[in-house]
Parts: sequence; structure tokens; C-alpha cells
Amino acid sequence: MTETIPDPIRAGLARGWKVLGGPHGTPPIELRCDVAIVGSGAGAGITAELLSGAGLAVVIIEEGPLRSSSDFRQLESEAYATLYQDSNGRKTADKAISIMQGRCVGGSTTVNWTSSFRTPPDTLAYWAEHFALPEMADGSMTPWFLQAEQRLNVGAWLVPPNANNHKLRVGAARLGISAPAILRNVKACWNLGSCGLGCPTNAKQSMLVTTIPAALDRGATLLVQTQAHTLELQAGRVQAVQCRPVAVNGAPGSGGTRVVARHVVVAGGAINSPALLLRSGLPDPHGRLGLRTFLHPVVATMSTFAERIEAWDGAPQTIYTDHFLETQPIDGPIGYKLEAPPLYPLISAIAMPGIGAGQAQVLERFPHTQALLALLRDGFHEQSPGGRVSIKGDGSPQLDYPITPFVWDGARRALLSMAEIQFAAGAERVMPLHEQATWTTNWKDARAQIERLPMAPYQTRVLSAHVMGGCGMAGQPELGVVRPDGRHWQVENLSVHDGSLFPTSIGANPQLSIYGLVNKLATGLARQLSGREVQLA
Amino acid sequence: MERRTLLKLGLAGGLALAAGAGLVALVKPGRKAGRLMAAGRAFYGAVARGVLGPLIPADPAAARPVLDAHLQRLEQAIAGMPPGVQAEIDELTTLACSAPGRLALIGLTVPWEDASPVQVEAALQALRHSSIALRQQVYQALRELTNAAFFADTGTWALMGYRGQRPVPNIPPA
Repeated sequence: MTETIPDPIRAGLARGWKVLGGPHGTPPIELRCDVAIVGSGAGAGITAELLSGAGLAVVIIEEGPLRSSSDFRQLESEAYATLYQDSNGRKTADKAISIMQGRCVGGSTTVNWTSSFRTPPDTLAYWAEHFALPEMADGSMTPWFLQAEQRLNVGAWLVPPNANNHKLRVGAARLGISAPAILRNVKACWNLGSCGLGCPTNAKQSMLVTTIPAALDRGATLLVQTQAHTLELQAGRVQAVQCRPVAVNGAPGSGGTRVVARHVVVAGGAINSPALLLRSGLPDPHGRLGLRTFLHPVVATMSTFAERIEAWDGAPQTIYTDHFLETQPIDGPIGYKLEAPPLYPLISAIAMPGIGAGQAQVLERFPHTQALLALLRDGFHEQSPGGRVSIKGDGSPQLDYPITPFVWDGARRALLSMAEIQFAAGAERVMPLHEQATWTTNWKDARAQIERLPMAPYQTRVLSAHVMGGCGMAGQPELGVVRPDGRHWQVENLSVHDGSLFPTSIGANPQLSIYGLVNKLATGLARQLSGREVQLA
Repeated sequence: MERRTLLKLGLAGGLALAAGAGLVALVKPGRKAGRLMAAGRAFYGAVARGVLGPLIPADPAAARPVLDAHLQRLEQAIAGMPPGVQAEIDELTTLACSAPGRLALIGLTVPWEDASPVQVEAALQALRHSSIALRQQVYQALRELTNAAFFADTGTWALMGYRGQRPVPNIPPA
């Protein structure tokens, strides 16, 4: 008998969930609710569950489409076109950094690789000291993380790591570097390795299968393929969210919906959230809006092994090392976290350098290819101020993120660290993702090559899967955009509940940082708006 | 400066060159109503040969259906992008399809339809290692578009030794 995987989204729609937009029907010209939530990703999902649990009428506004496990055929071509910003081709303004960011119900949680880390204590301490947020560093965040972890089944992954991750563990061990296991937010995971393409078995506890369904079961309304275009301001308060229909590719349609709400929570993700506030002309007396947008700029090295690695197969990113974050002060030379990313063919063919016969030779060894990436911890030094979100003439956002020499220095050190680990693990060859790099067959040659490669835009491949900041939280209005309770410093009935809150980057994959912080903020907001105490189910 | 602005400058420069040579009537869009025009097909077909090298059959007759399928996927891929990105691609395409633009931007002296894969790859390699940001951006854009469209086809997986993700019951295979 063929096993059937239940599709909780299609079942919910059949039960009568209120979903409108795109193929689900045209929303009315006006909708009224207690709280409008812009976005449906990590911050929006947690907020929607808590506020709907408090009995508040919630409308969730998502610009991407609603897709579910029945649609997730483990194909990059389909996933990128329907689940990612700009068909997974989002770029910084100068096109030097490629940004992977979700754009669908569930946001980036629908397509992330399940890596779950609490916000590192030294990051929270830095926020306390530099952004007047003492409550971040006094231990009071712990229960908020714990609750989110329980809700989303964050736990140890007891299956042996795939070969791609195993090489990180082996190489690090041979160099005396600690490389522990990564916690994952999964339940009955099949170990397919397709997390980045939408989980076909609903094992990943993304917002798509957890908090958003919980909110919809409580009567929340979900608008999909509906873009929150502007916030309507009157007498210092947001009156409504002006929305317009958009196609799956973002092309605007005709008509529109005005969502009138007592309170508005903006959680469209970094880049899009500050862009909405900028487009709406919100007050920004201290010039903070859109600034300090961080990316954890990623550089990577690839290696080949005699045996097959098949880095597309098995849970992605199950081993990491923070050795290069912990061996120097947080505000010293930029540190980096190392992980082993999954390699799917289309995105790998784009990321790996070269054309013609050179490219063909690289791709021929794809099943034997192993990769490491370094997340550079940006935002903790004056020479790492991050980027700035602004609005283009057509209203769409752009992120200008100049990579400073300080960050490039970290990129070079990271490439060296990764190459050394790969050779220690037994790699036959190692090559950094760089236009001028060639294969090297030993650590000495790799070191010599990496030390002389120019660290420059378009030459060094730089990616990002973590966009943070732009609506920074701070304990003083001149230091940030929102208050410690998530409310906008100048607009009382507006909150920001997503990764754009972070005053710096996290120094770890950010999903659990968003869940934990927003859990705290949304619980407080639910209490203020409804008088009720709620907690995640 | 973002590529859109740079390309606008480049396009203006290209048009000025064309006008100076009395050739402005020859500057035609490479894509119209979501479809690649003849000039666009010649351009992206040549670029595919340069980027993909031996992954495209050397024999023209054998290459034709491979390139036709590739160009169809490329049309779909571009159509799936946001309007702003499509506009940038169209600017690049139109400029590269004009003779002055091809010369000034890509550095290719022969028309796209007459260029050999070796000539195209050499021109792309020159862009790749150029010291000018605009040229490097053009290289990255053309390479990314080409690889994204080509490897979107499950039929290309064998070229990379990729066997697909492990199958899941009740989800139709690709």
C-alpha cells in the first residue's frame, strides 16, 4: 500500500480556512480587524498564533503564494520561482551579493535548512551594552527560547550526519577544533535533505505547518499574493494597511484592499519591513530606518573527495563550529561560524565559478563535491556598519551593502580556515569560490593561493541567507527604530516583529532568535491589546 | 551604483554610437511580450554555448534542439522574475543585441549568430576578469541566467551525476 502524506494546508482549506488572494478569491475592498500582520514568516507566524489565541481578530498579509507539501516536488526550478524572493536571485544594489530569502506563506521558514540556535549570549550582551537593552542579557530571554523550542520541536538530531557534514566534523577534530551538532526544528524527519525546496513530508516545523494553521483554525484571515504597499498614517497612528494584489512573480495586479486595524505588526522580513516603513513615509527623526541591515556575508570553499559525498542527500547543516567566533573578542577582527551547506545542482552550478570546459569539469565531480561556508558576524565593529535599505523609483526595495576591508579580511581568514579543515578531512582538492581561484591539492598551496587572491566584489563569491536589521530595536529613541517592547518609537500602534529588529547580526542562523524574541514581544502585545495571558501551544 | 543605472548609461552610450553610425534603426528589443526575438535568441544561444561549453553538443544539428529547449526555459525563467528585474534584463539584452553594444559592452567583434563558441567564451572570460565593474556584472548576470535556465531541466542532471532527491510516495515525480 502506498503511504499517503497528509497535507495540512489543503485539509485546512477544505475545513473552511479564511484564505483570500491569488487563486483563493479576491479580497474585499476593505477588511477590519484588531491586528493586521504583514508577512507570514518566523516573526509573523509566532505573532499570529499568540494574538489569535488571545481572541483578537487577525488578518495576515503575505505577498507570496500559499504552497504546501503536495506542491513540494523537490525541484529547484519550481521552488525558486514560487517560494523565494526574485526567483532566488535577490541581490544587493551592486549585484555583488546574492541573497536567499523566502517569499511564500511561512516565509523563509518554509525554505530554510532547519538550523536552530539560540541568540548567543555575547550577542545579547553586546545589545545590552551598545543599544540600551539590559533586559536582553539578564537571563530573562531563556524561557522565551525554551517555549519556542518546545512549540517547534527544536531538538537534537540523532541521525548520523551526512557525508558533507561528517567531513566538517572529521577535519575539525583532526585540527583540535570543536564541531558540535546543530539542533533542528523537525518532527519525524525523513532525512531527505530537501529542506531548501519546501519540506515534502511536513517534518520541518516551519510557520507553514505550525503557527499559521493554528491562527487560521482560530479564525484568522490570510491574504496571499497580496502586498502590503503602504501604511496609512493619520494623527501619528496607523489607520490601515493599503494592500494590492500581486502575481507570483510580484507583478502588480489591479484593485486593492484596505485593511483597517487597531494595531499593525510589520513582519515582512528584513529588507521588506524597513522598505514598507520607508515607502509609507513614517517618521524617522534619528535617521535610523533601513540602516544597519546585516547579512552574515557568506564565503565558501568547495572540495572533492575520492568517495561520493552527495551533498544534496540527508539533513543539511547538522554540524558546525564556532571556533572562529570564540577565539577573538566579539568586537575585534570579524569572526565567523562554519557550516556545511546542502548542494542542489542548479544553485551549485550558479555558485561554483567558471564557464566552458572549466565549468563542465567542476560539475562533473559534483557527486564527490563537499562544501563549507562561513557566516561572517557583521555589525559588531565600527568598520562593519552593514547596509542600507532604500526605495527605488518603482517603490521596490534595494539594499546597498558595501563590503568593507574589515569584512574582506574576515572573508580571507574564513577561506583559509575552511580549506585547512577540508584538507585535514582528507580532501583531494580544494578551491575557494572565487573567479581567480584554481584547484589546489594540498594545504600549503591552498594557503598560498588564498593569501594572494584579491578579496573584491564579483571576484569573491559572496552570498547571504540571513537578512537582519534595518528596523533596529533599542532602549533609547536615538539608537533605534523600535522600543524594547517591539513598538515603533514614534508610532504607538505599530510594532515590528521580525529579523529586522536585530541591532546587529546574530552570529548564528537567526530563525530561533526571531522565534524567541518575537515570542516575548507578541505575548506582551497580546496582553496589552486583549488583557489576556497567552502562550505558544 | 546599481546595475540598472549603469546599464542605462551603457544603453544610452550604445544608442549614441548607433546614432552616430546612422544605425539607430537596427537597435531592436531582444525580448518582446515575454518572448525572445530573433536577435535575443541568437544572443542567448551564443552565450549558452560559451557558458556551457562541452555540455552543448558540438554538432550544430544536435545542438539545435538542446538550445531551443534551453531558450524556452530561459524565457520562462525571465518571465517568472519581478518586473524590475525583467526590465534590467531587457536593457542588457537590447544593448548586447545591438552591434555597438556588443562591441562596447561585450567586446565581441562578430555578430552573435556568427560567433563560434570559442569566440564567445573568450569574450565572456574577458568580461569575467575585466577591471570594470559593469563588465563583471554583465558576466555574472549572463552566466547566472544561463545556468539557471539550463540546469532547471531535469534532463541535465545526468551531466552532473545528480540522481535527484530521494522519492517521496504520493508526490508525482519530476
